[in-house]
Amino acid sequence: MTANDNRLLIDIGSTYFKVSSKDHIEQHFRDFNKRILDDLMQKCGKTVQAFAPENIHICSSANGGLSSLIIGLTHSYSLKYATNIAYNAGINIIDSIIFQDIEDYSIPSDLVDVVIVVGGIDSNGNLFDTRLDTYLSKVNYSNVVYVGNATDAQALSARIERLTVLPNIIDNRLHIVEEHLKDYLTNLYQQDIEGKEDIKHLYDITGNQIYSTPYIVSQSLPSIHGKFSVTDPFILLDIGGATTDVHYSKDLISDNIVTEQGHDRIVFKKLGVYKSRQSLIFTAENNEYAYELLMHLKVTENIYNEHSEKATKILMQLAIFLVLCKMSHYRPMYVTLRLLTMNSIVFTGGITKVLTEDDIKDVVAFFYRKILNSDHKPATVLDTNYDIWTLGAATLVSQASHAAVDHAGSGVTTNSPGAVNSHSGAQEQSTCP
Amino acid sequence: MKVVTGVIGNDIHVVANRLMDLSLNARGYEVFNLGVNTYLEEFFDAAVETGADILLISSLNGEAEGWSREVKMLKAGYQSLDNLIMMIGGNLSVGSGNAEDIIPRYKNYGFDLVCHQVDLNTGLDMLDSYLQEHRPS
Repeated sequence: MTANDNRLLIDIGSTYFKVSSKDHIEQHFRDFNKRILDDLMQKCGKTVQAFAPENIHICSSANGGLSSLIIGLTHSYSLKYATNIAYNAGINIIDSIIFQDIEDYSIPSDLVDVVIVVGGIDSNGNLFDTRLDTYLSKVNYSNVVYVGNATDAQALSARIERLTVLPNIIDNRLHIVEEHLKDYLTNLYQQDIEGKEDIKHLYDITGNQIYSTPYIVSQSLPSIHGKFSVTDPFILLDIGGATTDVHYSKDLISDNIVTEQGHDRIVFKKLGVYKSRQSLIFTAENNEYAYELLMHLKVTENIYNEHSEKATKILMQLAIFLVLCKMSHYRPMYVTLRLLTMNSIVFTGGITKVLTEDDIKDVVAFFYRKILNSDHKPATVLDTNYDIWTLGAATLVSQASHAAVDHAGSGVTTNSPGAVNSHSGAQEQSTCP
Repeated sequence: MKVVTGVIGNDIHVVANRLMDLSLNARGYEVFNLGVNTYLEEFFDAAVETGADILLISSLNGEAEGWSREVKMLKAGYQSLDNLIMMIGGNLSVGSGNAEDIIPRYKNYGFDLVCHQVDLNTGLDMLDSYLQEHRPS
């Protein structure tokens, strides 16, 4: 029996929660009239009580993640680098602003969790004038972080209240420096999860850090080949109730970003089949090929108004199609993937409980034929038993155990990997209650 | 002085690019080499991020002309690049072409200095002379 055999892994999603132990995995639809903990204990109380708090590991994406607004100098460097780091830290981006045109941008109506200001290499300065202050004074935000050139840091600190200053994410060779901003954002996300009233109560049953689900999934990617027949390069689609996460091999992009990690992540915040249903339908109605897909699936647009198993199934198929469109040249966004060189698509999340492999293959083939004019057929892999999530959680637990053993030996205490930083200097270490 | 340089478009002539980098460094320029396969917007964006004085685009496979037609329009969108010195060099035409035709055409595209099939050191001497004339220190 390995150390991981005696763990209980719990994932709190926006629609379902999943509980995985050595012997079995169970999934329950959430009761939104109850606190998460009460709901969980009612449905899985016996299972949960069978484990000691130190052996229960929880992750959550139920709060949808943090929102960020990025203000930078250029698309190719400052905005692109900050966007990449934010997505990989599990943060959603509501808008990106080119500073020189800042007066032309509208002010976000919702509260922004974190504003990121970035631009210039350290030897370049005086790039952010008072237009930045004026704009920020109108934005409702919780945190603001500056990760641009060192020359402007002091002046901006004096002008902008509660500004966190971190080292520049652009080095003097115009390369990306991820570490500090990524740690800062990961911390914010962790603190947000811990601070949510509903999530807080979960610390009654666990003695471990509660992580964000995208972070857990990303932990599984380097070892995914041991569990599934996945051929590189691949993408992993986690289509859930509220959001859709895409993790992709970096081989699928042509990019000026050079990092050590082999995968990146992007999130579509309002693309899901339950909480984000209306947004998904709106996106579909604005896609000229969605109508053809409905015809191909032998349904009409009336399906949008139905609430049946069949409607859910069709919406999930639409979601796959729309996500692939968003990642292709047809709807260019932050990244365009070279989908014709992609060898595998891995599906995880609630979608695998509703669609069969044939349903998915049908939509993928439709996408390639209609949008890319190709008969290319990447292998379709379904993670029907949440093995990817289990693998990621188990990897994290294993890393944490090793780190604890190492540090016990050295007499040093530290955080679990990826949870909180201790070296950015901007945030205090967050700890489990 | 800061120079942003690189090879434009789908051009992978990396040896020439490396020689440019070395020669510019040897002449005391602070070089930001974007390498091969660089798109026009990336050149301008790099000039903004670095605060470059000079943008030196090179091309060997003949793609330069197609890209250069967009220089004026694209550069006009940047508020901080009015004083950027624009230079291009390499093989600037597809097939045969002579400098008398090519140089005025590229100057019309928005370049201050145009070096068609000129050896590297001669081209960089032209840049030094231009700077002495227009930006005496």
